[in-house]
Amino acid sequence: MKKLAGVMVLLLVASTAAFGQVVVNEWQIPFLNSLTGAIASIGEYLHWGANYAAQEINAAGGIAGKPVKVIGVDTALDPQKGSVEMARIVKDSLVALGPVPEPVIMAAMPIAVENGMMSITATTSYEYAAPYFPWTVSWFPPTEERLAPLVEAWLKQFSDIKTVVQFIEPYGAWPGMAKGHTRALGNLKLKEVKVDVPSDAVAFGPIVVRAMSQKPDAVILACNAEKAAKIIKEMKSLGWTKMNHILVFSSADTPELYTTGGKDIEGVQIYNYTNDTLDTPRWNAFKAAYMADHKGTQVPSLAPNYYDAVYMVKEAIEKTGVTGDPKKLKEERKKIADYLQNVKGFKGLLFEWDNVNGVAMTKPTYIFEVKDGKKKLVLEVKPKF
Amino acid sequence: MSLSIYYFLAITAVNILMTWAIYLPYRVAHLHFITIANMAISGYLAGFLVMSLKLPFFWALLIGFAVGGIIGYIVSLFIGDAPTFAVVIVGFTFIYITRTVIENLPAVGGTMGMFGLPNIGNSPAAHRYIILAILYGLVLLVGFLIHRFDSSRLGKAASAVFVDKDLATSLGVDIKKVGQLLQVFSCLVAGGTGVLYGFIYKSFHLDFFTFHLVGVFMTTIFVGGYTTLWGSLLMAPVLYGLPLLFPKEIQSWRMVIYGVILILILVLKPEGFITRKFVYNIGIRLSRKRGKI
Repeated sequence: MKKLAGVMVLLLVASTAAFGQVVVNEWQIPFLNSLTGAIASIGEYLHWGANYAAQEINAAGGIAGKPVKVIGVDTALDPQKGSVEMARIVKDSLVALGPVPEPVIMAAMPIAVENGMMSITATTSYEYAAPYFPWTVSWFPPTEERLAPLVEAWLKQFSDIKTVVQFIEPYGAWPGMAKGHTRALGNLKLKEVKVDVPSDAVAFGPIVVRAMSQKPDAVILACNAEKAAKIIKEMKSLGWTKMNHILVFSSADTPELYTTGGKDIEGVQIYNYTNDTLDTPRWNAFKAAYMADHKGTQVPSLAPNYYDAVYMVKEAIEKTGVTGDPKKLKEERKKIADYLQNVKGFKGLLFEWDNVNGVAMTKPTYIFEVKDGKKKLVLEVKPKF
Repeated sequence: MSLSIYYFLAITAVNILMTWAIYLPYRVAHLHFITIANMAISGYLAGFLVMSLKLPFFWALLIGFAVGGIIGYIVSLFIGDAPTFAVVIVGFTFIYITRTVIENLPAVGGTMGMFGLPNIGNSPAAHRYIILAILYGLVLLVGFLIHRFDSSRLGKAASAVFVDKDLATSLGVDIKKVGQLLQVFSCLVAGGTGVLYGFIYKSFHLDFFTFHLVGVFMTTIFVGGYTTLWGSLLMAPVLYGLPLLFPKEIQSWRMVIYGVILILILVLKPEGFITRKFVYNIGIRLSRKRGKI
């Protein structure tokens, strides 16, 4: 009996020490996001995802008993504004979300690093996140290692492919992603023909004619959604029929692909990191809420990222006993960063994953085919790192 | 000094210097947007020199200035006396060419950009003070030189070229040489400013040098006033700082507010807030006060 009482006291002390006394009335998480400007529509749904997570968490009792609020901080796609806003945030915030997108990450993340504050960049590639470890985490593994097996899996569906044309737009991380595709082609000893897609191109006839003159058996599109759709239309007009021999990369899997492509993209295959054909109560509720708030629009593939990021912050605060005490700011920021670097079995909206030294290493990837204007799952590719 | 004040001061200084870099050639009616490309070229080059060749920052900065000036000189040989429209076209073309070249250069990070530029000085705080000291030293130096230029015979010659090239030629002004001088100086300033711009962020990305900078500098120069250097000096912090004070509800209307201000100024006060007459009147008042004392 004495032993049991001793164990009980120890457990009580341990739990008090672990969870500490939360001193905040509300957890505030600033989200550096492009809410105005050229990518405001993307910024809107990223913020929506984060906000939806906060609402769910608050309805279930908050973080360590206190409500959470996601505060949208507009960077307007402007590195100048992003750096000033980050400089404000690092003064007293425990943790932040963003920045979005890459130019703002590069301008603002050095400030977070210098001040030892975790800022979760959940929509960028590994290559943009890794320079800022351990003060951010990467939502994806290194691009080439991640994409090569995925493209190999796509190619192995067919036995008639010898030459592949890859359309590449030189923007941000896209040439790096194209390298991952190239690695897959090299591994399978297939011939590759690269075709540059200028960022300011509006007409695609000439480049498609040039590409088709190489008599490819398959085509990979690593350019933005609108350009991908227009290239596919040009290919069809030149008599291309093997639609599943066209692979569209994840960054082009946005509503513009479907609205511009229309019926011409029927049968085309697309790879992405989220499987929105999943059927779980949590995902279905998220989807229904999103569609209700967005006039029935399908959920974009990046919308769950900051939803998961908010839950990750919740888990880090609760598991490490962070109190929100301004006097312990430095120490508690470090606790959160350390926890997130190697979070295990994190229950995301669409799947569970582990972080290994800041990198999400166990997320699956998917290949879909467009049928009746919607994506239908064809393959799930598990990572082999 | 708080971090947000540092960024505000540093970026304001960049905007002042770059607006002056556009103001100067505009004294002979040249809208010289090649300066934006110069920022990128010198900036990326300095980043490469410091990161890959381990060259000390100050050498890289000097090379950045020099490269800006050399490019400006070569281009000015062809467009030193060109009409406004031709200079604008050359500037935009140069921005495109520069972007494409950098996108295809893996040595400077290509489309990904360049990460992890080192601190100048022993610590991040020292880095910030050095950057601010250089930037505001430059603001003083360039401002002084432009002030001297504006009140010199050369400045008056530039004004004559702005009003009527034929008239200026008949008065004995070599319009090509004046144009070249102003273009080279503005490119030199832009080159050095580009280096400092990247070292503020400790990184370079092509989207740091987009056409939106043209918009920012043009608004500053035309709202502030394009006939004196003071308009840019006063308007750069106001136009950059003002949106930071906007309530969240009207943040998304920022560009509309900018646009409306620009239109109103162009209609109601085409020379901008600070005109030459305004500066002259202030000068007279100050000298009268001094006379009374």
